[in-house]
Amino acid sequence: MSPLTKLYGERTEEEKYEYFMERIEAGEKIEADDWMPDEYRMALIKLISMHAISEIMGALPEKEWVPKAPTIHRKLGIMAKVQDEMGHGQLLLRVAEDLMKPYGKTRENIMEDLFSGKLKFHNVFHMEAPTWADAGIIAWLVDGAAIITQTNMLNASYGPYSRALHRICAEEVFHAQHGESIVLALAEGSKQQREMLQDALIRWWPSLLMFFGPKSAATTGSSKQDITIKYKIRTKTNEELRQDFLTKYVPRIRSLGLTIPDETLRYDEENKKWIYKEPDWNEFKKIIKNQGPKSMERLTLRRIAYDNNRWVREALQ
Amino acid sequence: MVEKDQKEHGFYEVFEVFSKRSHTSPMQYQFSLLAPNHEMAFILAQENFMRREPVVDLWVVKRSDIRKMTEEERDLLKRLDNKSYRLTKGYGYLRKKWREYEQRMFDEKEIFSWGETGDDKRKKRTGSKAK
Repeated sequence: MSPLTKLYGERTEEEKYEYFMERIEAGEKIEADDWMPDEYRMALIKLISMHAISEIMGALPEKEWVPKAPTIHRKLGIMAKVQDEMGHGQLLLRVAEDLMKPYGKTRENIMEDLFSGKLKFHNVFHMEAPTWADAGIIAWLVDGAAIITQTNMLNASYGPYSRALHRICAEEVFHAQHGESIVLALAEGSKQQREMLQDALIRWWPSLLMFFGPKSAATTGSSKQDITIKYKIRTKTNEELRQDFLTKYVPRIRSLGLTIPDETLRYDEENKKWIYKEPDWNEFKKIIKNQGPKSMERLTLRRIAYDNNRWVREALQ
Repeated sequence: MVEKDQKEHGFYEVFEVFSKRSHTSPMQYQFSLLAPNHEMAFILAQENFMRREPVVDLWVVKRSDIRKMTEEERDLLKRLDNKSYRLTKGYGYLRKKWREYEQRMFDEKEIFSWGETGDDKRKKRTGSKAK
């Protein structure tokens, strides 16, 4: 008997699961208070809390450049971007909190998991941003990579996340253009500016490839991509997203006369695939375990802000 | 407000009704109605506003629970047009620049199309409506 012919309250757990899968197959959206399998809830909590925290940790390397931006216009631009990132963190933390409610958990727990190392943040935000060109490359290519993964989830089966992503991606369009604007100014600037840009690209290239995650769990020991695809949270694999990124960005990077630090990089017409040098996945594992060049410094910065504001949270309770 | 509403309508309270036309559309404000409680407000909302159009979700909110802005407060929402650094229109010159490098501009339309599946693209081409 199809679960639909039975009253909602009389359905067994299996029938609820079957109905749930029918709903997502039909393109319906699951809402916060709807029945959902634990595996789905756990995968969403992990994905969205990591995304939320990465927005906030991602604002840290960029905010270093607010006081040092070269012109008032650039300063206003990068300030607006940092503000957006914190705003995205807030949107996503709310989505995660609603999912964690049945477990009695809140954003406090997310923050504590970040400090204890249990909750990871994106590999790119563990890295250094020593020059203004790094700020440009982050906004252009790191945000470009984020746009590739996030647009892939615009139609996610979980309604609140899908809606948050629509808003986030619309703002990311501005981020990407802000990045292009910085990069083009440097690319058309003095010899020194072009060299600075080229150096930043060399610094960021392996991190950009790592951004999309390993091809499969075999590379790094764990990967949630199969579960998120099964539940229509996303549609493409890590590797498909990396290929999309290369297709969209390699020609643009090269058009500016920049050299990508990978002599093996080429498009294989026959197999319709980019061939590239694998980044060092052992390095990736170390970075996301908070052993990257800036991991501890940025976590400490976050912890200081958290501790300094503790009295406000306590006073409000 | 509650007292005033109850004085005006006695048994009834004013409810504001919001509904969603499809799973992907936003929650939209419909209109208000009078009802004695939330449950009746649901029934009346369907009778009043959803006799024909499709609906997948419905919210009813007591008007007294909504803090609306006053006319004076709304006046403060007006913006000065001095935030081009924050808007994509402030970066419109990039289109021409990228053309010089024989590259296309990644604007909002282009970027949002990256999220479409093969299915969406086929539907767009054949002109049939998405579900």
